Amino acid sequence: MDIKRAKIRDLRKSLDNKEISAAELCDEYFKRIEEVDPRLLSYITVTKDKAMKDAENAQKLIDAGKATALTGIPLAIKDNICIDGVKTTCASRMLENFIPPYNATVIEKLNAEGYVLLGRTSMDEFAMGGSNQTSAFAKTKNPYDLERVPGGSSGGSAAAVSASLAPAALGSDTGGSIRQPSSFCGVTGIKPTYGRVSRYGLVAFASSLDQIGPICNDARDCAIMLNAICGHDRHDATSANIDTPDFTEKIGQPINGLKIALPKEFFSDAVDHTVKACVLDAAKELEKLGATLVECSMPGLKYAIPAYYLIACAEAASNLSRFDGIKYGFRGEGRTFEELIRDSRSRGFGEEVKRRILLGNYALSSGYYDAYYKKALALKQEIIKEYNEIFELADVILTPTAPTPAYKIGAQDNDPVKMYQADICTVTVNIAQLPGISTTCGYTADNGLPIGMSIIGKRFDEQTILQVADAWEYGFVPLSPEL
Amino acid sequence: MAVELKTIEHLCELSKLDYDEDGMKKVMGEMGAIIELMDEIKEFDLTYDDTKDGNKIAFKDTREDVAEESFSTEKLLSNTESADGCYVVPKVVE
Repeated sequence: MDIKRAKIRDLRKSLDNKEISAAELCDEYFKRIEEVDPRLLSYITVTKDKAMKDAENAQKLIDAGKATALTGIPLAIKDNICIDGVKTTCASRMLENFIPPYNATVIEKLNAEGYVLLGRTSMDEFAMGGSNQTSAFAKTKNPYDLERVPGGSSGGSAAAVSASLAPAALGSDTGGSIRQPSSFCGVTGIKPTYGRVSRYGLVAFASSLDQIGPICNDARDCAIMLNAICGHDRHDATSANIDTPDFTEKIGQPINGLKIALPKEFFSDAVDHTVKACVLDAAKELEKLGATLVECSMPGLKYAIPAYYLIACAEAASNLSRFDGIKYGFRGEGRTFEELIRDSRSRGFGEEVKRRILLGNYALSSGYYDAYYKKALALKQEIIKEYNEIFELADVILTPTAPTPAYKIGAQDNDPVKMYQADICTVTVNIAQLPGISTTCGYTADNGLPIGMSIIGKRFDEQTILQVADAWEYGFVPLSPEL
Repeated sequence: MAVELKTIEHLCELSKLDYDEDGMKKVMGEMGAIIELMDEIKEFDLTYDDTKDGNKIAFKDTREDVAEESFSTEKLLSNTESADGCYVVPKVVE
C-alpha cells in the first residue's frame, strides 16, 4: 500500500475493506520512519511495541464492525502531551526521563477511538521557538529541504505528516506553533478556539494561550481529528461547556456569499514579497469561487509581538516554576534546598527557556508590572475589539501564516529578537483566543518551498474556516517532498 | 538598550537560575535587545480594564467538593528520588 500523503479517510476505507490490517498499516509507517527519520529527525521516541498492541486491539474492533473514524489509524503525538507510561520529554533535558502517571484528556479520547500511537514527535523545548532547533534531542529538518527548519514548535509533527511518517499528528499552538510549521512543511494544521479542546495533560507553556490541535494532509482530515478530540472536560475549567458540532458538516459546501477580510497590516513590508503575492493570488481564486473580499485594518498588530511575549512569558515563568528537581524532572546537586532547585533549573532548562523565564519575571516584577504586563493585557483587549469589528464586516479573515517560507537552519540562532518578530502573523489569533487554520497556497518558484495562508474564524466557528480551507484545497495540487 | 547587571541578578534570583560569568554577559546582551523590543508597547496609549476581561472560568461547571480516587503515591513518586513514600530533599532543619 502506498502511504505517501495518505488521508485518514482513505486509510479508514482500506482498513474497513480488509485491504490491509491495522498491524500491517502500522508496519508500513515504521518502515518509512526507519528509512527517512534518521535524516529528518521528526520523532524523539518511536513506540513500536505499544503500537503493535494498539493495532491488535484496533483490529478486534474493526473485525467486530465496531470501528469509528480513528480505529486503527496510526498517529504521532507531540512530545508535550502526557501519555500514561510513555516518556514525555517536552524536548528538554528537564524531562528527559519523565514518564507521566496519567493520560491527557485528548489521549483518553483517542484511546476511546482505538488509535495507534506511532511515537512522540520533536518540538522546540517546552514549545518555545519557531524552528525546532531548541529541541534538546532531535533538531528536526524540513522535508522539502533538509538544510532548512521545519518551523515550530510543533515542527516534528508537521515534518512527520509532510514526509508521510504519520498520516496525522497532534500539535499544540501557543503563538502559531501548529500553523507556522504546517506552513513551512506544506501541510494543513488547525488551532481550535481556546476552550474547544481540553488542555488537561498538555505540559503548560502559557495557560491563556495554549491549545491542542491536529496537523493533517488536508482540512477534511483536520475535521475528522477535531471530531475526536474536542469537548468539555471536567479536568480543565477553561474548556468550554458547549455542544461540539460535527466539524465535517460544512466540508464540501460552496463558499459563495462568504465574506473574506484582508487586514492590510498583515500584508506590510514585513512580509516577504513572494509570500504576499501568493496569498493575494489565493484570495483572488477564492473570489472566483464566489467569496467576496473585504479590505480592513488591524492597527493593534503593530504592538502584537511585545504584547504576546509579555503575556506568554509571564505565564511561562509561573508555569515553569513547578520544575524544581524534586517532584519530577532533572535533579541537580546542592547541599541546601535552594542550591538543589537552582542547579536543577540551571542545568535542566535550555537557553531559550531560561530567557523566557527571565523576561516573564521581569514583566511581573515590582516596578514593571503596570508598564509591561498590564499594558500587554490592555493590548489584548484592543486586539479582541479589532477582531470583533472585522467580524462585523466578514465571516473569516485571510492572512499569510508566516512572513517568509522556511529559512536556513542557523539563520536565526543567536538573535532572539528576530526569532520573536517572525511570529507576527500568528500571535494575535492566540491573544484573541480564535480558531485559525493554515493550508498551503503555493510554492516558491526558485526552490519549491511551501507557502502557507491562514484562515481565521469567529470564536467556536471552526466549521467555516474548515469549509474555506477545503474549498481552496479542492482545486489545489499539493507537491510532496522528495524523501 | 543596556540592562544593568544588578537587574539580571535580581531576575535570576526570582527565576531560581544561575549563569557563569560568560553566560551572564551573553544573557545581559540578549535581554537588553529583548526588553528594547518589549518597550515598543509603551507607545500604546490605552489602559487595561479588568471589568472587560472575558477570560472567566464557568464555576457552574465545577464538580461537587467530594473526595475522589486519585493517583497512587507509588505512581507519583516513580519519577523522582523517594524514600518511605516521601520525596527526598536536602536537609532543611539543622
